[in-house]
Parts: sequence; C-alpha cells; structure tokens
Amino acid sequence: MTTRTPPHVTLFDYGAGNLHSLAKGLEAGGARVTITPDWTEALSRDALILPGVGSFGAAVRALEGHADTVREALEAGLPCLGICLGMQLLFDGSEEGEGRGIGLLPGQVRRIRARVVPQMGWNDVDTTPDPLFEGLHASGSGSGVPGGEPADAPHVSAETSRGMTGDESGSGPDVTAVTSPGMTGGEHGDAPHVSAVTSSGMTAYYANSFICEATDPESVIAWSDYGEERFAAAVRRGRSWGVQFHPEKSSAAGLRLLRNFLSEVTR
Amino acid sequence: MLRPRVIVCLDVQDGRVVKGTNFRGLRDVGDPVELAARYEAEGADEIVFLDISASHEGRGTLLETVQRTARVLFIPLTVGGGVRTEHDMNALLRAGADKVSVNSGAVNDPDMLTRSAALFGRQCVVASLDAARVEAGTPLGEGPDAPRAPEAGWYHHTHGGRRATPLEAVAWARRCAELGAGEILLTSMDRDGVRTGYDLALTRAVSDAVDVPVIASGGAGEASHLRDGFTEGGAAAVLVAGILHDGLTTVEALKAELMGWGIPVRPVPASEPEAA
Repeated sequence: MTTRTPPHVTLFDYGAGNLHSLAKGLEAGGARVTITPDWTEALSRDALILPGVGSFGAAVRALEGHADTVREALEAGLPCLGICLGMQLLFDGSEEGEGRGIGLLPGQVRRIRARVVPQMGWNDVDTTPDPLFEGLHASGSGSGVPGGEPADAPHVSAETSRGMTGDESGSGPDVTAVTSPGMTGGEHGDAPHVSAVTSSGMTAYYANSFICEATDPESVIAWSDYGEERFAAAVRRGRSWGVQFHPEKSSAAGLRLLRNFLSEVTR
Repeated sequence: MLRPRVIVCLDVQDGRVVKGTNFRGLRDVGDPVELAARYEAEGADEIVFLDISASHEGRGTLLETVQRTARVLFIPLTVGGGVRTEHDMNALLRAGADKVSVNSGAVNDPDMLTRSAALFGRQCVVASLDAARVEAGTPLGEGPDAPRAPEAGWYHHTHGGRRATPLEAVAWARRCAELGAGEILLTSMDRDGVRTGYDLALTRAVSDAVDVPVIASGGAGEASHLRDGFTEGGAAAVLVAGILHDGLTTVEALKAELMGWGIPVRPVPASEPEAA
C-alpha cells in the first residue's frame, strides 16, 4: 500500500524490561505505537515489533500456543522487526531456554563464544545493501558526517537499489566480505578524529549473551565480530527483519534504522 | 570490533544531579534529563544514574526522573542506588532503565542476582562494587564483634562507601558474576573524586578474575587516566563524572584524545536533528 498515514505499530510486551525508549524511538520515526501483551491485538496493526528485553524463557512462555499464528501472520506479509531477544524469537529455538520460537527463520540460538560475556557495548556492523540500512552505509552515524570522504564507501551506490526483492543475494562474495573486517585499533596516526574509526557500516549497541545461527546464510544481511566469531547482526526474510543490536539504544544511527523500517512498513 | 566505552555518571538526589567529593559536600549541578541528553549529544556511550536519595520520597522521584529520561535518551541508561529486590529492579526497568546496579541488595541477599538474571536477562543486572584498601586488622563492619581484615587488601563497602564488609573485593566480584551479574561497576573508594586516575591494580585484578565486562570508576581526572583504565586496567568501560560536570572537559574532547592514542572508542556522532 502507498498510504502516507503514519503506520500504527504494535510493541509486544512480554511483561519485563524497558519499552519506553523503543516506543519513543518509533514515535520519533513517525509511528503510532500500541504496547500490548495480547497476540491478537499485536498482529492486528500495520507492523509487529518484538522488543529485546527480558529472558528467552519468559518470552517463549508468552509465545506459548501462539507461535504458529505469529509465524503465519509474518509469512502472510505482516511487517515485523525483532530486536535482540525479539530477533532470536524469529528462529526455531534456543540453548537459553526450553520451548520453541516462532520458526520463521531456520536456525538455532546459542551462546556467543568469547571470554567476556555478555557482549556489552558498541560494535561495528558490516551491512549489506538493504532498505533497513539506508543512509547508514557511508559513515558511523545516521546523518551525513562532515568530512565523511567517500574514500572507503564504495557501497553507497549499491544501497540505492532499493525495493529489493526477497533475497537479492546470489551475487558472488557478498558485500560484507569486501569490507574491512573490523577496524585496526593501533595505526591511524594521521587522523585521530571522526573519520579515523568509521568502517563501512554503522556502530550499534549490543547487550547479548546469545546469537542466532541461521541455517540459511542468505537470510543474514549484516555481520558483526565479537570474541572468536562473526555473527549475524541482522537477518531478513520477506518483510520480517531481525537485528541483534538495540537500535533504540544506538543514538542517531539507531533512530535512522527505525525510521527506515517504518518506511518499509508503509511501502 | 567492540568499542571501549566512555560512560558518564550522574549522582541523583531528589530528582536533581548533585556532586561531591568522597561522598560528602554535595552541590546541585543540574537537571538529570537535560544533562543526560547533553552527554549523549557529546558522544557518551552510556549514562549511569546513581541515586543517593535517603528518603522514600526521593525514591519515588527517581522513577519519575527515569521515565522522563527514557523519553529523550537513545543510549543505554543504568540506574542504581537502594535496589534491594528484583521488584525494585523491575520497577526501574519498567520506568525506562536498561540496566540496574545493585550493591547492598546483593550483599544481603546474593541470590537476588540469580533471580533477577532469570527474570530480566543478565545483561540487565549490574553488580556495583565499592572497594577500598584496608590494612590487616581493620574492623570490617559495625560493632565490637565485627570481623577484622585477615590481611591488607581491597574490601567491598556498602552504604555509599561508609560501611565495610568482610567481602574481599576480587572474590566478591567473581561471586557476583557467577550468581548472575552481567557487568561489574567497580568503584575505588580511595580514588573517588581525587582525580589522580583509576586504581589500576584493583581494576586489573577484577578484570582478570571475571568473565563479564568491568567498568572502572573513581579517579578520572584527564584523558590519559581513561586510556590507562583500558590498557593497564583491562576495563571494558570507564566511568567519568566530576571533570565533566565541572566543565573541565567534554566527552568529545576526551574521545578525541583517546583516538589519538589508538584507543578505538566510538566516534562522536554528528549533530542529530532527529532525536525527539
């Protein structure tokens, strides 16, 4: 649909955690937000947001008996954004707790392999061209950074190929492989300021002990590195997206991502 | 790569940000909501509110302050002070905190860390340690029967640092992480407000002992102290307060210096017109 009316999204409430920032972030992006613990209502608006607060076990209990209904709604095209735990719920199940997830995306959730867990803090996200990341490729922040030389931003043009259909992947070694695998801490002697540490993606806030292992690698649309591994920072299937980081805690870049999602909802 | 974090701490009392040295001599430095938003714009990676209200009314004011802050802040907010139970924690999380720090509550009832982690996820649970160096034989607690420190070392304190406990700091940090804390906020009572740098030996000892992130706190006076907290202390994050509130420097200036030394902190974002 091409309506210009603000999208009315639902924020599912598992009963724990902070939903204020996410609700405000979505409102800042132009949405009307309803917070609800009721699945029927949650699936009845323009989009469903699965927030990233609480434990997997508690969320799965809230999902019990409704997983199939939710999956069918998403498969039928209801736009969805799952955040952190909400992204993990899109998969089949998790090491973290009993019970099954929504099963929209094949794969399992497992503990991240690193000495220090949880992963807590801002990490670089290597993005591939997807409308979710529009405006976030060239620099570390959401808006045009002054002096953001195009030097290492060959992906900007790619992102203008919007309206991507299903999965556009197929094409060889995907974009992420081209990007610098994590910036080099030590040696940027010449430019100690902003441009020195931007990579070809965004920097986003994480607070997670678990990650999603997607069976279908083509569902992964962004990657991050932590500890010994490279993990799915964001996934997509159809009109459902999942992000392992917290856009509502990622300052301007995160707000931009929420706005991008809302643009897709009204597309 | 995961960026070393610069966290700004605001001491909050009855809905106002206050500032003092060694937990004494408080003065008003502003509105917590405004200051938190300003520090986000300056490039702070997180905000911590430490509530030092003594009264019940002050605690109610805190929830309201957290709510107002969550509406305008789009970086993580940790809130601590006076948290006794998982119900206290839930109230703060529902009000808009992303993480809650616990000190005395965990000493009195260590299992509350485990219960909270199960309910909210361990990434929400921050164990706050106030460590001070004591000599062998120092009483650790109140009254004539208080145990005495068997040897010199860092011991955990409660009640804003006023009351010693028999908990050796490094062992207690390890225990908190095992019980369910997802992060350790480690404050050196000896360095707090002194601005001569973090207690690097303490920070290193705790960082090496636990497998959760450690925030170094107490003693930041200049950018090189932050750098040393990361490189020598092994901290995942550093806490800064007084030098910012006094206007001696800004988060942006601190980060610029850190980047000059090759510390890959998150760059300060350009101005953000879209924040509501």
